[in-house]
Amino acid sequence: MHAFLEYTVTGLTVGSFYALVALGYTIVYGIIRLINFAQGDLSMVGAFLGWTLLVPLGFEHLPIYLAVVAAFLIPMLGTAVINLGILQFAYKPLLRRSLLAILITALGMSLLLQNTVLLVYGPSIDAYPPNLVPATGFYVGPVHVTYVQTALVAVSLLLMGGLVLFVQGTTIGTAMRALAQDHDAARLMGIDVDAIIRVAFVLGAMLAAASGVMLGIYYIQIQFTFGFLLGLRAFTAAVLGGIGNIPGAMAGGFLIGLLEAYTTGYVSGKWEDVVVFAVLIGVLVVKPTGLFGERVAERM
Amino acid sequence: MIGLLADRRIGRALASSREQLTRFPFWVRVIVFLAIVGGVVLLNGDNYVTAVAVSVATYAMLGLGLNIVVGFAGLLDLGYAAFFAIGAYTSALLMTQAHWNFFATLPLAVLFTGTAGAILGYPTLRLRSDYLAIVTLGFGEMTRIAITNWDYAGGPNGVWNIPWPSAFGYEFNTQAAFLVVSLCLLAIAMIFAQNLDHSRLGRGWVAMREDEFAAEAVGVPTLRLKLLAYVMGGMWAGLAGAFFATRIGTIDPTSFTFQLSVLVLIVVVLGGTGSLPGVLLGALVVVALPEVLRQFATYRILIFAILLIGMMLLRPQGLWPRVRRKPKPFYGLRDDEARDVSEEILREHQLQVAARGRHLAKAGHPEVGQGEVLLKVRNLAQQFGGLRAVEDLSFEVLRGEIFSIIGPNGAGKTTVFNCITGVKKPRQGSIEFNGRSVVGLRPHVIVSRGIGRTFQGIRLFKLMAVFENVMAGLYPRHRAMTWQAMLHTPGERREEVQTLQESRRWLSFVGLEHAAGRLASELSYADQRRVEIARALASHPQLVLFDEPAAGMNPPEKAALVGTIRKIRDLGITVVLIDHDMSLVMRVSDRIAVLDQGRLIAMGKPDDIQQDPRVIAAYLGREEDELDLAEARGA
Repeated sequence: MHAFLEYTVTGLTVGSFYALVALGYTIVYGIIRLINFAQGDLSMVGAFLGWTLLVPLGFEHLPIYLAVVAAFLIPMLGTAVINLGILQFAYKPLLRRSLLAILITALGMSLLLQNTVLLVYGPSIDAYPPNLVPATGFYVGPVHVTYVQTALVAVSLLLMGGLVLFVQGTTIGTAMRALAQDHDAARLMGIDVDAIIRVAFVLGAMLAAASGVMLGIYYIQIQFTFGFLLGLRAFTAAVLGGIGNIPGAMAGGFLIGLLEAYTTGYVSGKWEDVVVFAVLIGVLVVKPTGLFGERVAERM
Repeated sequence: MIGLLADRRIGRALASSREQLTRFPFWVRVIVFLAIVGGVVLLNGDNYVTAVAVSVATYAMLGLGLNIVVGFAGLLDLGYAAFFAIGAYTSALLMTQAHWNFFATLPLAVLFTGTAGAILGYPTLRLRSDYLAIVTLGFGEMTRIAITNWDYAGGPNGVWNIPWPSAFGYEFNTQAAFLVVSLCLLAIAMIFAQNLDHSRLGRGWVAMREDEFAAEAVGVPTLRLKLLAYVMGGMWAGLAGAFFATRIGTIDPTSFTFQLSVLVLIVVVLGGTGSLPGVLLGALVVVALPEVLRQFATYRILIFAILLIGMMLLRPQGLWPRVRRKPKPFYGLRDDEARDVSEEILREHQLQVAARGRHLAKAGHPEVGQGEVLLKVRNLAQQFGGLRAVEDLSFEVLRGEIFSIIGPNGAGKTTVFNCITGVKKPRQGSIEFNGRSVVGLRPHVIVSRGIGRTFQGIRLFKLMAVFENVMAGLYPRHRAMTWQAMLHTPGERREEVQTLQESRRWLSFVGLEHAAGRLASELSYADQRRVEIARALASHPQLVLFDEPAAGMNPPEKAALVGTIRKIRDLGITVVLIDHDMSLVMRVSDRIAVLDQGRLIAMGKPDDIQQDPRVIAAYLGREEDELDLAEARGA
């Protein structure tokens, strides 16, 4: 029982990273039906931007709140700008073309981001400052929970809450939901479709960057390749929850995190991906729209 | 001006040399081409160049297989490396553990990967393409992890000391020898792929890629074809995998990553999806370009990524796209069409119908006679959410008549068609065709029972040529088996020629033979409707359902349509028609059913319908329809 709770805590922490990246997939997919394969790599870019601020630029010596806020906000903005650039130069001209062409472009983008980071930062592993957040923790009953875990889950919940409020409560959010249903109808209602697509890319990139920085703080070590696996799991999470469905992506992220933690704990770390994909395929075969149903209108 | 003339002359010279070329069968051309390529590389004698050429051939084999899945069938596969791995491990284990000869392992490697294709394909048949992407990706990762954790196959270390291939006492152990083996395998892969492309399977796949729903509705068994695409795609990868294992000598799980799946996908898309020469070109670029860029060392992948993105932006259709337009689609066909086409069609139609009648009678389901009830709909009900689209509807269609269903928008007319053709399963009620229930059958089965249809919004296979659209409609009539299609046997070839011949007849029946080689999307609206009619007729149905065939036509086109519909009836085909054009309906119909809000409110001869007070009431208050009715009386 004790072990089970420990695994649960780990699973929820890791799951919150997946949930953030999965939200990026879901928002972009919901609006332009594009699986943005670069999403995981954006997260990696965010992690490296955060590291640049904290270590080489010495932000780690600032007061902790200032350091953390800067290490989140600046990479989020930087990654958003990068993602806008990607949208403008690579995806935009292809939006009305074939699905395959744009998918290949996204894969190419993922390669491009990885290799740019490889060039700039080199192939070695970089380390986040280990004591940014106090490494100690507290006990909930028998279970040890670190402050890092608490803080990270809290931050991701905060971001998700903000996203839900934004999508449900603002005019732009309403426009996004309208676009997910029907582009042409939305355009006829006077919605600036291009601007809303840009908003979706900005949101997706910001969430990805935040998860990247969180990953750096949690695991300490970062390398230019981690985006791929993160993206893969997050994408799985988005599909598991029903792609295009915002609460679904969050739930899917936490579920994948838990599944992974239990598999590693009870079976073996070697099999975690097999279990994750087996569950995903099982769910899709039984319920092809994901656990919580997709929220995108089927186009006939 | 001179430039233009020169261009034209060159164009003509190219066209005629093309014609010269097509006189040789494809397999001869492939063998000659590969022999030349092999000869040039071997004469060059550089071991490095030869090794790169062997890699190009391996990737080309993989690309040809994935092209079947992605290019033809339009199913996104991101886990293709798994099949490559299964082929490689099957062959490697058989050679090292059971000491089989390399060439003897090939059939088993192909069998195993084909089976793996079926295992992946079966549960995913009904998934949409985006979901397929993640499921295939997952399949690839699961396979890789499974072999990493599989101790018998060496776990993460893989299989070592795989022997060279040998035949008749000769051991293939130089790069030059590998090149010969790989080109032979590539030749097999190319010839089979080409044969499939030009068979009913290839047409069925592309039709499915263009419009899955319409493909099913004209008689293409889409689920079976999807499964077949996975199986075939897997088989090609098995061939490539087995060769890869023996060539490298040592295989381990890191050779079969997601990156490989992506690279093969890039081969296909870069070359031009669905195009065989494109795949070869794509393989050349994907393998040779990084080699050329080797001097840039660390920048290599970066430059590759930039080129890839640039390529997609500038030429998303690929380097060598497949052109389905054909200037002379019926070139070389026996020219018996100078005689009256209708006569020819009538003869063929009667033959086909008689054959089916005998077949059915033998199975204990005799067909109904002229003037008897062909289609019997009883108490049909269908609803969407809370909306009752059709309620308690009963009617009968007699064999040989032209029966129209009219009614205001939203009356449930198209829903009735969808229930009859198996697109939607009715909530309640029975539908009998020729005395047998068709409820619950898949649409393509209903087509083979003898019901054809067109769609309210045109649903042609846009990027296929017009004659190919009609040939796709002939799908249910083919008898050739898959292996015959792959080998391009004389029987299959004969059937293909017949199919082509028939598509030509149906096109001239609707007056479109001159446009046969153009893409369906290039035709005018009215012509597209006529192609749909030809496609629906191609399977020699007993009953055709036309959903608003006159929509968007101008008066002369409508007049021609009336003639066509009568001609179809004269062939002995029963016609059920939905249309809003009252004058057309009144002129052509034997009987008319009027629906309003899902219920039948009147049925009878055109004159009676025009006098019926309930019909007038249903149409009153809807001004445009009232005008239509008035116009019809005048006509």
